[in-house]
Amino acid sequence: MTTVTKYKTAPLKCWQKGKELRLEAYRDLATGHEQGKLLVLGCAATPYGMLAGLGDFVFLAGEPYGASVAADPPVSIPAMETYEAKGYARDMCGYMRNFLGTMFLDKYYFTGGPFPKFDFAWSVRHCPAGHPKWHQIVSDYQGIPMNYIDDETMLGIDGDQQARIDYVAGQYLDSIEWMEKITKRKYDDEKGIEAMRNYFYNEALWGEINLLNGAIPAPLDIKSMFALMPISMLRRHEKVATEFLTELRDELKDRIANKIAAVPNERYRMCMLTPPPWSFLKVFRYLENYGVVFAGTYVYLINSGEVKFLYDKGTVIPATAPEKRPGWPIMKNREDLCRTVARWRAEHPFQSNLETRKKEYVIMFKHWKANAYLLLINRGCVPMTTSMYDFQRDLNRQGIPTSMFEGNFADCRDIDETGVLDRLETFLEGQGIQKIQDL
Amino acid sequence: MGAIEKFQEVLATRHQYAQDWKKKHNGKAIGWLCTYSPVEIMYAAGMLPVRILGSHEVQDVTDRYLFPTVCPFSRDALAQGLKGRYNYLDVLTMARTCSHVQGTFDNWKNYVPISLTYYIWMPQHVASRRAKPLLVQEYKGFVQALEKFTGKKITDTDLDKAIELYNTNRKLMKQVYEFRKKEEPPITGAECMEMVVASQLMDIAEHNKLLEQLLKELPNRKLNRNVGVRLMMVGSEMDDIVFVKMMETLNCTVVIDEHCTGSRYFWDEVKPDKDHLAAIAARYVDRWQCPAVAAEFKPRADRILKHAKDWNIQGVLLYQQKFCDPHEFDIPTLLKMFKDNNIATLVLEFDVTIPFGQFRTRIEAFLEILELELV
Amino acid sequence: MITAGIDVGAKTIKAVIVKDNKIVARSMNPTGFEPVVTAEKTLEEAVKQAGISRNDIKKIFSTGAGRKSIPFADHNVTEVTADAKGMNYLLPSVRTIVDIGAEEARGISSDASGRVLDFSKNDKCAAGAGAFVESMSRALELTVPLMIEISHKSTKEAPINATCAVFAESEVVSLIHTKIDKADIAHAVHDAIASRVSSMVRRIPIEKDVALIGGVANNTAIVEAMKKHLGVEIKVPEKPDYVSALGAALLAAA
Repeated sequence: MTTVTKYKTAPLKCWQKGKELRLEAYRDLATGHEQGKLLVLGCAATPYGMLAGLGDFVFLAGEPYGASVAADPPVSIPAMETYEAKGYARDMCGYMRNFLGTMFLDKYYFTGGPFPKFDFAWSVRHCPAGHPKWHQIVSDYQGIPMNYIDDETMLGIDGDQQARIDYVAGQYLDSIEWMEKITKRKYDDEKGIEAMRNYFYNEALWGEINLLNGAIPAPLDIKSMFALMPISMLRRHEKVATEFLTELRDELKDRIANKIAAVPNERYRMCMLTPPPWSFLKVFRYLENYGVVFAGTYVYLINSGEVKFLYDKGTVIPATAPEKRPGWPIMKNREDLCRTVARWRAEHPFQSNLETRKKEYVIMFKHWKANAYLLLINRGCVPMTTSMYDFQRDLNRQGIPTSMFEGNFADCRDIDETGVLDRLETFLEGQGIQKIQDL
Repeated sequence: MGAIEKFQEVLATRHQYAQDWKKKHNGKAIGWLCTYSPVEIMYAAGMLPVRILGSHEVQDVTDRYLFPTVCPFSRDALAQGLKGRYNYLDVLTMARTCSHVQGTFDNWKNYVPISLTYYIWMPQHVASRRAKPLLVQEYKGFVQALEKFTGKKITDTDLDKAIELYNTNRKLMKQVYEFRKKEEPPITGAECMEMVVASQLMDIAEHNKLLEQLLKELPNRKLNRNVGVRLMMVGSEMDDIVFVKMMETLNCTVVIDEHCTGSRYFWDEVKPDKDHLAAIAARYVDRWQCPAVAAEFKPRADRILKHAKDWNIQGVLLYQQKFCDPHEFDIPTLLKMFKDNNIATLVLEFDVTIPFGQFRTRIEAFLEILELELV
Repeated sequence: MITAGIDVGAKTIKAVIVKDNKIVARSMNPTGFEPVVTAEKTLEEAVKQAGISRNDIKKIFSTGAGRKSIPFADHNVTEVTADAKGMNYLLPSVRTIVDIGAEEARGISSDASGRVLDFSKNDKCAAGAGAFVESMSRALELTVPLMIEISHKSTKEAPINATCAVFAESEVVSLIHTKIDKADIAHAVHDAIASRVSSMVRRIPIEKDVALIGGVANNTAIVEAMKKHLGVEIKVPEKPDYVSALGAALLAAA
């Protein structure tokens, strides 16, 4: 007879506060202009704290907005159909399709009111397949200026790394000049620096929070993690995010000390590489019937989060803010700011190349004390999907079980829910894990 | 043998051509994946630049490596590597462009035997004033790597000669393209593609000689075919010459193109500069933009429209490699641009292999509509 | 001990009865619109064949696409687990199983005890399954057995280019109009299926012995094509349609 340990469990105390902070960020976009704030569009990897040098602003990262819409099929489906009716292709990024669909419908998801008009788009070219092109569509549609910065992927392979980092730093500097010109505002270096200090600090804090789920039992369930992650993604530059994330971290440490579990019947631990299928988050609740807890997903460890991988030791620790790293200067002016941002980004795990990433996946698997990886192939997301079979093979070769299914992060029409559950059940069966009620 | 027949022979025996060239010159061959790769530097290194292309055969070897909804060209190219067809290549290089072909490069590097790979970090923000200086640095690294590999220095003279040969090649191919403006072009679209693809596979000096021969042949060349509707082909990677041949049996002629085995590849020349690497960098930053690199739509759109008007086209075949995100972004805007300029378009989606029957029907219907309008 | 396994497939329902580790009955019926009724009927036929009464059956396990819809099953297991168990009973040397059903194809890697190590499945595409053969046979205006027979007489390659089963059907029509021999087209259809299935199977380690099961394993043209694409000898057990149901029955006895 299989015995299943029953851990103590309790809801997160700071949950409601977190929910409010997240919604506030989105609602702020709808009223931002009335408050005299700049509204800026970009991708989540953009160091948007730099915008603080221009004054108050609200930054919308297209991806979490798209994910929020995607999680609501009655809104998402008409949005995507509207996007498709405009002649755009269906196999493109789901986040983008949901975003643009609501823009074309002039319906901002979080208020139901008119879709906000941005002052400009400014972004890291995060995805070679598309982000600046996405912003170009918005730029043309809303008649707003746009600018972008090279992303720093594929560094460390051949060539002069410093020249590349200097080039990116130069682009940041040029874009400050550009922003001053189009907004007719003078850039305050100190304000930009201060906001980015918060940004770096909060990213490291979010990374630390993710690492805490290496405890057994895991203190934070993955659905709650997904719900709270936008606080870091959208408000990294703010002190209010620091306060909240500190409170969350401390509460999780307390839960670990008192063995308070996210999933009381935790007996099998999984982790992921990618975002989840946003319209099918109930899959995680379903798997809890098997005692499966998800310790984390790699992508949200290093997107809006930062950690430091110790490759020689095969371990991972929380990151330190750039100015506290040996040999890094204290930022005094915009040139320092731009150089620090470019260098910080270059050394960030977000920019790891293929081979380094494979090592990081294994390190996280061990840190999270996982039993298996869940790999989602997202139709429409080229960077995350292209080499997924290669990753799977690499993990399997190292004795790490994997379960893979094909679907879509953000298009509910592209997920065969029954098929996915069937596949997961088959995998768990092979692992000797049955539904707890059947034991 | 006429020049076009010679191009066709090279295409049909491309791998043998490269191996024979290596033997004859005691040289090395360098495979490249994207048209932002600087062929001038490769040639200056004394190597044969070979564009890696697919074979348009049904294949089942890449699914272990590349997810199926990755661009067909990327998958087909990788399939050739996995099948050992490019075993004679000594080096593989690529300039950073899109994630799909990145997958080809990464998997080739790991799973196809090759002596050296080199990755050029192409600046994506080509409008930035810093793009050219960065690219010069990248080229310096590339030059050093090739020098180390071949054991031979790449001198200014080598670069000068390579630039001159490639500029000559571009000028000559543009002269051939001028003939396509005629009411009865003496060369078909398929034959032009054969010419351009051959330029991506051959020793450029040899190709130039064939171009000179072709330019002598063209004034007297009579095709004995109906020109039919004058079409422009616009899109991403396109080397499915069999398809174009089929299309041109249907009362139409492709008189101009904008794709990466066509004019977008060769149109821009290197402007002379005593700093040769700076000159080459300027060419690749300022060149006819591909959406896989540059986000701005207008520079590309303006050039396409100019081509369309200068070659007096009557319709556009807008083809798209299935799942190609960068080009998919541009398609709705291109369609609107053509519509605003009263140019009819047909959009076709391509895969590694295509359904000829269905495509034929679509093209015939499109041509019938155009023919009625032109009467 | 007597146990039974019921495989509720998209097209057919199979039942196998096992007594003291020996197969004593097999039965199959088309699924139809009422799978529970058909499952009941199929089990009854197997019971009669075995010369036992229904009450003699200690446990019934169901498997297949409709496994959860059988109220009289004591438990259900996935087809992957059932395939591995069934195959291990029939041919213990098999380590890689390819199961091609009407609408789904699977590749399964198993160990010496019939435990599943890894698996792959076709994703959202029926062009690598039995339904594709049937729709192509309609396009060729042949019965499936005749299509298989003439496929072996093919002398020329005629590749099917469309990767979608729906488009491939109209492509076959185009090929017929170009006067390509039906035998060559039939061969091309089988080749196309084998290519897609092999592509999917290669995601798991392919280790000998390799077996092909499921209804489509009765198609000798597919077997030949699979051998060619995977580059290995393929074993086909007797009555390959029943392997899943057999595995379920054996698991019920475990």
